[in-house]
Amino acid sequence: MSRTARRLRYVFKRLLQALPIVLAIVIVNFFLLHMAEGDAVDVLAGEAGSATPEYMAELRAKFGLDQPLPVQLLVYLKNVFSFDLGYSFRHEMPVLDLVLDRFWPTLLLMVSTILLAVGFGIVLGLLAATGLNTWRDTLISIFALVTYATPLFWVGLMFIVIFALNLGWFPTSGMKNVAAFNDTWSWANIKDVAHHLVLPTITLSLFYLALYTRLMRASMLEQAGMDYVTTARAKGLTENRIMFVHVLRNALLPVVTMAGVQVGALIGGSVIVESVFAWPGLGMLAFEALFSRDLNLLLGIFLLSALLVVAVNLVVDIIYSSLDPRIEVG
Amino acid sequence: MNIRKWIGGALAAATMVAGATAARAEGGTLVMLVQPEPPSLASYLSTSGPIGLMAPKIYEGLLDYDSDLQAVPSLAKSYDVSDDGKTVTFNLQKGVKWHDGEPFTSEDVKFTVLELLSKIHPRGPNSFREVESIDIPDAHTAIFNLKNPAPYMLRALSGYESPIVPKHLLEGEDYRSADLVNNPVGTGPFKFVEWKKGQYIRLDKNEDYWKEGLPKLDRIVGRFIPDASTRTAAMENGEVHYGAYGAIPNIDAVRLREMDSIGVTTDGYGMINPMSLIEFDTTEPPFDDARVRKAVSLAIDRQFLIDNIWFGYGKPATSALSSNFGATGLHDAKAANYPADQNVEAAKKLLKEAGAEDISITLDLIPYGEDWRRAGEYMKQALGDIGIKVDLRYEDVPTWLKRIYADYDFDMNVNYFYQLPDPVLGVHRHYGTDQIRQGTHFVNSSRYSNPKLDALLVKGAQEPDAKKRAAIYSDVQKILGADKPVANLFEMNFLTVFDSSLKDHDTSALGAYGSFDQAYFDK
Repeated sequence: MSRTARRLRYVFKRLLQALPIVLAIVIVNFFLLHMAEGDAVDVLAGEAGSATPEYMAELRAKFGLDQPLPVQLLVYLKNVFSFDLGYSFRHEMPVLDLVLDRFWPTLLLMVSTILLAVGFGIVLGLLAATGLNTWRDTLISIFALVTYATPLFWVGLMFIVIFALNLGWFPTSGMKNVAAFNDTWSWANIKDVAHHLVLPTITLSLFYLALYTRLMRASMLEQAGMDYVTTARAKGLTENRIMFVHVLRNALLPVVTMAGVQVGALIGGSVIVESVFAWPGLGMLAFEALFSRDLNLLLGIFLLSALLVVAVNLVVDIIYSSLDPRIEVG
Repeated sequence: MNIRKWIGGALAAATMVAGATAARAEGGTLVMLVQPEPPSLASYLSTSGPIGLMAPKIYEGLLDYDSDLQAVPSLAKSYDVSDDGKTVTFNLQKGVKWHDGEPFTSEDVKFTVLELLSKIHPRGPNSFREVESIDIPDAHTAIFNLKNPAPYMLRALSGYESPIVPKHLLEGEDYRSADLVNNPVGTGPFKFVEWKKGQYIRLDKNEDYWKEGLPKLDRIVGRFIPDASTRTAAMENGEVHYGAYGAIPNIDAVRLREMDSIGVTTDGYGMINPMSLIEFDTTEPPFDDARVRKAVSLAIDRQFLIDNIWFGYGKPATSALSSNFGATGLHDAKAANYPADQNVEAAKKLLKEAGAEDISITLDLIPYGEDWRRAGEYMKQALGDIGIKVDLRYEDVPTWLKRIYADYDFDMNVNYFYQLPDPVLGVHRHYGTDQIRQGTHFVNSSRYSNPKLDALLVKGAQEPDAKKRAAIYSDVQKILGADKPVANLFEMNFLTVFDSSLKDHDTSALGAYGSFDQAYFDK
């Protein structure tokens, strides 16, 4: 079998395996969320100021909340399998529309964060490892330790104080200047969004940057002591070639693994950053949905996150085999 | 010039240009904080705070109220009350159009009041409870026929409290999921344009507004920023111009008010009258005994709470009614019967009489912000001083609502109620026997029941004569002061923080819940 065909078969197999996993995630989430006290009708009526018990009962019937839990679950599963994520009664909108609308800002933030964190993490880790126990190594290690130990929301607020209030380089919050109303694809809008993206991206990447720096440094050091490095040296290869061609490639594996695992965590981490910077992404939507007991919406977001994690893990496994030909998929 | 400096300079320049076009050069876009993001814009279904900030710019009421709380014309040019108080005739403005171009008529008023406000609005069934029918002899006259006189109804006709909505867009629809819920069409100074979920709501000037030369602003944008510190930074940076109802926390407002470019006011809440308080479970020991409730009231130093947690904004409660009702003569200063100062000895004595020494209870706290937690921590100490051991409980909104109003599973609950412009609208719901409604929020959760008080409340609602009415409410205050089914803590002062170049945003008694038709930037 050719390599490509084998890969395709592998992808297909993995997707099949993902089905029961996603199903289990949906079911567990469903029961977990229903354990919370109070429901969407309580919140709507509470916010409204007041409502009669009859009106609340009417709403519960309309939302399907008066049915027994197993029935609600079956209805939900049936809908999911027909690609219908249900209706958010709070927003009076289909969940899919809401989630897709908020998915792009999150994706933008996630991708820019991962690129920045992984990219700089690798470079810094490499610099630290090649200058082991010099001032460079010490400086980078201290930087990594400090950023790793600082809470995200505090970093975010300090960035706002320094770069938005004191220096005035960046806006405090939001995804664009709400009073400008540029067209979506106009150059002005793209610049505006990029301008708003800088602080949240740096804030969110700092934490992960520290992680990847440390991982990369450790991984480089571990690989440098391997037998194949001695062999390469005995062959008469230059130190640079050993470092950048042989060691680096092997050292990248754990970093890529970690990055894959953390895509899921990034959505969680972005709740804080999205709230601090009022970035209109999925994290903020999930946070609000939880407090308003908008369970359809919350389940929809969880489902999307689960799919995302499954997909990213698959991509990571395929990247492995490119990085290290000894790892075969299949 | 090195590269970093150059980038910094360029970015700073870009920000300044962006800022300039945002607020100044166009002269007309007001960015206001709306927090949290509203569930919808259907103000005929919900009195939720964030809806109240946006919807009254779009929908109007029959009347408006000026800063002295006096009624002024809005959709009704004038009104006339018959001598027996049972017929109220509204003469409507002519030539008013809905934002979709259809004419506004008395049909809309009749439909809105009878079908929506008196049926599905949270407070409307109370405000319009005496309305038997509405006659519409022509397109510009609406005659309300009442079962009994209802003087309070005329104070509940603002665009915030009782918005008039278009009949032609709602008739035959499901009122909750109609298109109008998220795409409001009103008669007001601003038209709904766009709602970008998670970011902002945009309203543009209504060019065909019936008030000549108004509105002055080109646009109002409501922005959602979940984090309080970020909201403050955005205000400080001039990215937003207006924040009301505690959008900027007191702790930051006292700092911002020192800046020339920012103003802070407590005006604009006269129709809302928020009162913080403690609700007791009066059906179970220890709080079934009025002496124990009074002891709790005596143990709390109200001025301490105001000074230390709310930064001086607030006024200790003097009776069951807000002192703002003094304007209509309903607050009787002589009937004021709340402790002016903390009195630990008197409180201990009351507890001893009641045989309630060394009790331990749980205190629930309203989950609407950190201030309430601080207040809870103070009360734990203050009640500890008189020998009541307190456990604090702070839950999220749905859990708390269910506990207090559906399950009645609490001892003592810190809360705040809007007393609104008349006691019938905002205070009766807290004490009447008919207001013990399990599963309904913000009513009589103390389950206090006193036939004598019930009779007074009915009389107070129907008495058209101001003097007699004042006497009735004086008795109401005496009874509630003696029984204390609820211990009022202090009259809250919400803060409005605004860009000081923004003028005339406060011409209506409704403040942030007003229409902003006269607001403008003075640069």
